[in-house]
Amino acid sequence: MQELVLIQPVRAAEKEFAQEAAQAALRREFEERLAECGPLAYRVARGVLRNNADAEDVAQEALLRAYRRFERLRDRGRFRAWLVRITFRLAIDRVRSSKRREVRETLWSETSPRPSTEDLAATSEFQAHLDRAMEELPEKRRLVLLLGAIEGHSLDEVSEMLGLPVGTVKSRLFFARKQLAEKLRCHVKTIEKR
Amino acid sequence: MPCENYREALIEAAATDSAPSRELRSHLDACASCREAFREERQLFAAVDSGLRVTANAEVPASLLPRVRAELNQRHVPQPSWVPAGAAMAAVVALVAVIVFLRGFGRDTVPTNASVNLFAQHVSPAEIQPDPPVVAAIEATSLPAKNKTVWAAKTAPVVQAEEAAVLVPAGERQAMDALLAGVRQGQVKADILLAENSEKALADLQISPLAISPIAMKPLADVGAE
Repeated sequence: MQELVLIQPVRAAEKEFAQEAAQAALRREFEERLAECGPLAYRVARGVLRNNADAEDVAQEALLRAYRRFERLRDRGRFRAWLVRITFRLAIDRVRSSKRREVRETLWSETSPRPSTEDLAATSEFQAHLDRAMEELPEKRRLVLLLGAIEGHSLDEVSEMLGLPVGTVKSRLFFARKQLAEKLRCHVKTIEKR
Repeated sequence: MPCENYREALIEAAATDSAPSRELRSHLDACASCREAFREERQLFAAVDSGLRVTANAEVPASLLPRVRAELNQRHVPQPSWVPAGAAMAAVVALVAVIVFLRGFGRDTVPTNASVNLFAQHVSPAEIQPDPPVVAAIEATSLPAKNKTVWAAKTAPVVQAEEAAVLVPAGERQAMDALLAGVRQGQVKADILLAENSEKALADLQISPLAISPIAMKPLADVGAE
């Protein structure tokens, strides 16, 4: 007697092939955005974490997470804004959950390039103060400030990325810069006096 | 007006990098100390902006995108959620079909065309051609079935699935699995098999009409005598 098995040949094959084709198209579309937005994800993470290795890890995680959910993103034109939010959230979470933060900061200061002149020393010192001051900003203001500084984004672009009115972005940016200036005013004077 | 009253306006003008208002400008013209304070504020905000640009536009490591691509290739081949459930269901249906088939086969004492007899009560006469062997349940298939034995199973009670199902020799199942594996690995292009059906592909499956000899009608000889 001939052995027989039950199969559903056409539907199964068609579904499989159609799915393969859809996945390939999705991957191609994501690849285009990956090249365009990958650096942005890294810079957002770097702006929050102030550590290259951590920023790379977080950016990678954010991009992979974005890929996993890419199919569900209805408006693909919002990918950039979506990725920024994912990255920012992951970076903030990492900062909060990290129990080795102090160690990392020590490593960061050790791996920073040693200034060769007084000016460079002053710049590096100011940069360190700036980084700390940024960390104390409220998250909403910090994100606006970062995005405004990254790749020279305009107010309109930041507004579009965050889905906020331009007026709100402008206001947050103003108060964020003002808050930074308050904290750094004394340091600027100290550095200038040297 | 004392200098303190201009402090906020002075900071705001420096922060927004905008021109001072007329009132503030006239004060700055008259007050050297506020002029100096305004200059310092502008320097401060310029330093903040410059520092922010340095922080925010750090060089992106060249390893980032290759790392992400490698991860995408390894871990994140998306699998549809219905695949495991579908596979399990297909396995159960196949098992039940085989059991029912074997039971039915055991009861049937006629060895030839056993499967035809088994399914004959469920299959309409138009779908059955006794010789060559049974060809049925093909309306849903677009694959060429030349020189293959396809057993009628579409209307069997054990196959209640929404999709059309057929019983085929085990080797054919293996061939289908190999084909799907080839598609997954990119050795076979799915587009070929997703193409529209061609008439030629199904031409070999055409069933010749039944040849029925005319029946001679004769009146019964003894009807009139009775």
